Amino acid sequence: MNLEEKIRLYFKEAEVYRSQSLLDEALDKYRMVEKLIQENRKIQNKKPLLERVAARIAEMEKRCKKENKPAKPPPVSDEAQSLMKEMFSFDDPQTKGSASLGGAIALAQFGQYDKAIEEFNRLLECSELRFEAAKHLLQCWISQRYSDYAISLFQKWKKTKFLPLDQLEALRNQLQGMLKKEGIERDLSDIEVKKTVEPDSEVEDEDILDINSIRFDLPQGPDKGRRVELEVGFQSGKFIKMIIPREEKSLIQSIKPGDLLKQIVFYSPVAIFSGTGFVSSKKEISSGPKRGDYSLEIKIISISS
Amino acid sequence: MAVINLKNRQIECKIVYYGPGRSGKTTNLEYVHRAFKKQVAGRMISINTDGDRTLFFDFLPLGLGRIKGCDVKVQLYTVPGQVKYASTRQLVLKGVDGIVFVADSLTVRREKNMRSLKEMHENLKRMGLDIRKIPLVLQFNKRDLGKKGLPVMSVEKMTYDLNRQLKVPFFPASAISGQGVGGTLTQVLKMTLQYLQQEFKWA
Repeated sequence: MNLEEKIRLYFKEAEVYRSQSLLDEALDKYRMVEKLIQENRKIQNKKPLLERVAARIAEMEKRCKKENKPAKPPPVSDEAQSLMKEMFSFDDPQTKGSASLGGAIALAQFGQYDKAIEEFNRLLECSELRFEAAKHLLQCWISQRYSDYAISLFQKWKKTKFLPLDQLEALRNQLQGMLKKEGIERDLSDIEVKKTVEPDSEVEDEDILDINSIRFDLPQGPDKGRRVELEVGFQSGKFIKMIIPREEKSLIQSIKPGDLLKQIVFYSPVAIFSGTGFVSSKKEISSGPKRGDYSLEIKIISISS
Repeated sequence: MAVINLKNRQIECKIVYYGPGRSGKTTNLEYVHRAFKKQVAGRMISINTDGDRTLFFDFLPLGLGRIKGCDVKVQLYTVPGQVKYASTRQLVLKGVDGIVFVADSLTVRREKNMRSLKEMHENLKRMGLDIRKIPLVLQFNKRDLGKKGLPVMSVEKMTYDLNRQLKVPFFPASAISGQGVGGTLTQVLKMTLQYLQQEFKWA
């Protein structure tokens, strides 16, 4: 086979690998073609040929990089989530409700954290499954890099004695282990008497624009999923305060200090952006013209776009 | 693990298509979905990435009707082939009753086939399953590419690489045209049902 035939053959091969998305293999072949062209003096008018091959190499490198990037699992359709729950749940027939727990664990294993968290929160109501649900719930938050929030949840459970003492102790050990695995060293002993843990904010006060209003979906309660818009009455850097009128009973019930709101849209006079916020306080106003209304404070944790 | 309800005479088993990325696992299921309409018992569900790669799994339910007095239902799954989804592959493999290993016939994919088979072996071992005991069929896919002038391995070479110790049934195939797809599926179903019959004596 002469050189010209060899180049043609390798290029054709590379093109087929490219069309099959066999990226590494295509890249190797294009590089071989490039080398053959560069090293051969007989080939006339090399420049356009080399440009064409170089463009292909650049394309393959870009696609390889994109494909090898560790990707966060995207949320999938309700149908696919139901399938994951149903087909990948391995329950213990001795434990009541364990199929639901198994389903939620399957969702978490597939990275469907929002749905899994919703299910684990529901299972916290069932005393037989509370410990397991709590453990997996903490793991879901840690897997999404909300370690501080996981600690704040545990602290809340410890303060309110949400689980029997022996289970709280076991949960503390589990949480400590999960954090260690992520390279986080935190002392969780006597956490119930320590200052309330709040998730650290990723944003600096000066980076946050003035915010006029916010919009989010209710995370729980009877109106779960209802879209709510609130005017911002006061802002100090990453802390924003809103008033909830006393008539908005379901809204008042649905939002609690310690909640993490993962999709808040912030409206500022110059831009609209979204992010995550932590409900740092909710208090009934006891005097003045707004008496009976509620003051809600949110700490902005992160801004995504 | 198969669900066998002897009272209602129902059997439900799980077949997983395993193999390296881009070897044609999804293409196998797509062909089954198109060609075995009578047996297809529901929609095929694929959960893909933006680049049309399998992200979690593909799923296709089949109903084989009554076999030896039992209503037999089969769930076909594929694993995601990309190296980075190793933990998802383990998850999808859980409870498997029969496996089709889809190998790529292209010479340049030789190492990827061997690595994937080794990984599958390790995953099964981790689950307490023996690769020599579980119903397993090999498929040497993309045979058609040889006719297009691309370097493909001979069936003998692939058998030597992948099957010299396992000695399981194998099928040359071209999933894109459907050649060998039905044969592979029929064989794995036959072996799986025989295996379940020996284990659970359902017939």
